[in-house]
Amino acid sequence: MNAETNYGRFGSGHSVQRIEDPTLVTGKGVFVDDVSVPGQLYLCFLRSPYPHARIVSIDTSAAMAMPGVVSVVTGAELTAAGVKPFPNAAGFKRPGGEPHASPPRLCLAEGTARFVGEAVAAIVAKSRDEAYAARDAVMVDYEELPMVVATDAAIEPGAALVWPQATGNVCNEALYGDVAACDAAFAAAAHVVTLDLVNQRLVANPMEPRAVLAVPDAQTGRLTMRMSTQMPSGARASLCAVLPDIAPEKVRVVVGDVGGGFGMKTGLYPEDAVVAWCALKLGQPVKWTADRSDEFLATTHGRDLLSKASLALDAQGKVLGFRVSSHANVGAYATPTGVAIQLLIGPWVTTSIYDIPVIDFRLRAVLTNTAPTGAYRGAGRPEAIYIIERLMDAAARQLGIDQADLRRRNMIRPDQMPFKNLMGQTYDTGAFEKMTTQAVELADWSGFDARLAESKARGKLRGRGIASFLEWTSGNAFEERVTVKVAGDGYIEIFTSTQAMGQGIATCYAQLAVDTFGVSIDKVRIIQGDTDRGVGFGSAGSRSLFTAGSAVEVASKKTVDLATQLAGDALEVAPSDIEYREGSFNIVGTDRSIGLFELAARQPAHHVFVDSTTKVDGPSWPNGCHICEVEVDPETGEVEVSAYASVNDVGRVVNPMIVIGQLDGGAIQGIGQALCEEVVYDRDSGQLITGSLSDYALPRVDMVRSFKTRLDQSVPCKTNPLGVKGVGELGTIGATPAVVNAVVDAVWRHGSPEAALAMQMPLTAEKVWQALVAKR
Amino acid sequence: MTRINLNVNGQAVSHEVENRTLLIELLREGLGLTGSHVGCDSSQCGCCTVLVDDQTVKACTMLAVQADGSKVSTIESMGTPGNLHPIQQAFVECHGLQCGYCTPGMIMSTAALLAEHPNPTDAQIEHALEGNLCRCTGYVNIVASVRQAAAEINKTR
Repeated sequence: MNAETNYGRFGSGHSVQRIEDPTLVTGKGVFVDDVSVPGQLYLCFLRSPYPHARIVSIDTSAAMAMPGVVSVVTGAELTAAGVKPFPNAAGFKRPGGEPHASPPRLCLAEGTARFVGEAVAAIVAKSRDEAYAARDAVMVDYEELPMVVATDAAIEPGAALVWPQATGNVCNEALYGDVAACDAAFAAAAHVVTLDLVNQRLVANPMEPRAVLAVPDAQTGRLTMRMSTQMPSGARASLCAVLPDIAPEKVRVVVGDVGGGFGMKTGLYPEDAVVAWCALKLGQPVKWTADRSDEFLATTHGRDLLSKASLALDAQGKVLGFRVSSHANVGAYATPTGVAIQLLIGPWVTTSIYDIPVIDFRLRAVLTNTAPTGAYRGAGRPEAIYIIERLMDAAARQLGIDQADLRRRNMIRPDQMPFKNLMGQTYDTGAFEKMTTQAVELADWSGFDARLAESKARGKLRGRGIASFLEWTSGNAFEERVTVKVAGDGYIEIFTSTQAMGQGIATCYAQLAVDTFGVSIDKVRIIQGDTDRGVGFGSAGSRSLFTAGSAVEVASKKTVDLATQLAGDALEVAPSDIEYREGSFNIVGTDRSIGLFELAARQPAHHVFVDSTTKVDGPSWPNGCHICEVEVDPETGEVEVSAYASVNDVGRVVNPMIVIGQLDGGAIQGIGQALCEEVVYDRDSGQLITGSLSDYALPRVDMVRSFKTRLDQSVPCKTNPLGVKGVGELGTIGATPAVVNAVVDAVWRHGSPEAALAMQMPLTAEKVWQALVAKR
Repeated sequence: MTRINLNVNGQAVSHEVENRTLLIELLREGLGLTGSHVGCDSSQCGCCTVLVDDQTVKACTMLAVQADGSKVSTIESMGTPGNLHPIQQAFVECHGLQCGYCTPGMIMSTAALLAEHPNPTDAQIEHALEGNLCRCTGYVNIVASVRQAAAEINKTR
């Protein structure tokens, strides 16, 4: 594309300012709670205060008598009305081949509540304050049952059972690899490295809490659900599967601005269905806006994996075998997503960028009396990459080999592409060593000793950590439908059923359209978030640009082709004599032409319209190398991120500014896992200790001062026409092991090697200090 | 119910409120100023940050009646999509936002900072924004936005 033209500056490859921003910086964004309709009622949820309890009775009479109260709904009423349980993780197996076992997830708990925060009743009133006041008047008689919240306790013999059919609290398991061959590899190894590793439980915490405004229309019998979701079509499908007698065509899901998703807003939540059901029952609009405490208690949580992992290596540091045995705490209800993350998605990248000959992988998903787990940025891949990157680091120390060098000795080479890993996943491209070599340069790896000495002179301990890695992207949903309308009024409107959630995807699509149409970007409108316009998978798994972006490009080209035919008719020449350029169809060799929008205006429908579906050939495999240096205060154990450098292969880049924003913003979420974030349930009471932003530490402004972030565009993806790779989760995945390895390095150098390796995330000042004082 | 009189974004406002009504509820629901957002219930996130008599206030932490007689400024006072305030322009140019939910609060905190410190140090910027959470950006671009906004505003002083 010619960068000299006016539009060219807005095409792909340029750091175009986001078309989303002018409305967002002026407070003109439209988030769900910003919208109100006349006569809307307000809903709030009463939640179980117990981790496991029999619900003996619920008396709603006092609440119903409170001012403004319209309805108090219980699980029994929903069941009687035919509301069905949420789909379970059918298809997965328990040990011995028994079917998956997990309690049915109801919209409101009926008979038994299985985690603190499970919704037990919904209160609908004329105002929010009246709903909250009446909530306190709902009388529930609970009988406490034995409970268990910690994974290690849940798998102990005799532990309280979450669900009787799930003996030992195991709801399903996954086994991969070759046990005998792996045993042989370990028996023959010169070195074996073993670590116990905890990927702690996290809460996604997008700044916008969930919200739903359900508006029924008595005339059409339809229901409009305004929601904050990454997957409007999936939410609609799930809603129609759960509620009785409502067909998908009767439901319209509309999404405005989404205040962050991070995977947490991918599915339908029980609360969403309750709001819809109440609106239909009452025939009035009902709004529910979650409090932050609702979000801590009852959104799907992320991570929560206990692992014992070992590498077998020869004397030169070549990995001979890899053994991982993990228990994933999936909460009280095993959701299909929560299970797939641990049993499928994590395993797919478990051997990462390394050529590992044999693996013995075992994972059991464990039920506990905690909130169900689901997708959170990275979803399985951060866990897997953390495990292999911690092992690589420990192996390098044990063998006395440079951390980067040990990794290089084991990397899959470009000439091995396409490469099928031990889990049957095929990497289309990857120049892993090249990324690591560049990152080592960018981070001034060889200058570390001088910085170490400089830190020491200031009384600080310094450490360096590296992570080289890849990720799987796509959600295994490869098809996208896009519509393009060139309007006679002078704009191009593109609809896709992927979903903006703050990542700047609309700007990227608009840039791709500019590439093809050659018009200025302000002529392009991107429409998303309306199931009446089209349905599709939605945005998750870093898939939007390479699936829907490819579809936008293909559909745009089809539109120009169609319009060229129409221009031929209009100019009364053969289409082959027409050349399209920058919004104008010209007859080659003449000065006769017709403008794109003028042509559209002449059509009977006053527009040119194309409906196009495009399928890409497979996932993309973005990868990179992240290197972090930390300083640790030996007096307090406080960790400061001193330097962070990364080189990333995300294929071709449409908007470098946005991509780097995704990488850096992703990295700080990974750093949050490394250093400060953790969901804590009290083992004795089952209570959620970290139930607010006062108790759960999110990264703040002083966490990282700068990122050195580079993009290497020399390895385009081969599975999509754009050559792009997903980027939404890459930063998060790389940051956690890079930062932890750096802190381990600092503590190791201080003289506490065993304590350094035994530290578990988050590496708070107290934990690091404890490790430092364990010095031999 | 109590009648309060205040100045919101340069307009005199007289409104009946319940004693328990929070300032953020008055702004969002009473006055339809939905640019200030609610992100938590413990005064941690700063999405609802507004200026009350030129001082930053988390509007979820103040009762509407406490603002009686005050001058309140929200994001709606800053600029429009077609005519951005220099702080807003700097956030756009430095990619200081992604989802935009925390952004109005960030911008109001920045406005108060720059009124007090036209040439803020990085330490002053961090101090000014330590009560504003952002889950998307990693903050580095937000700090860069504040620096650029200061430079732009100082050019026209």
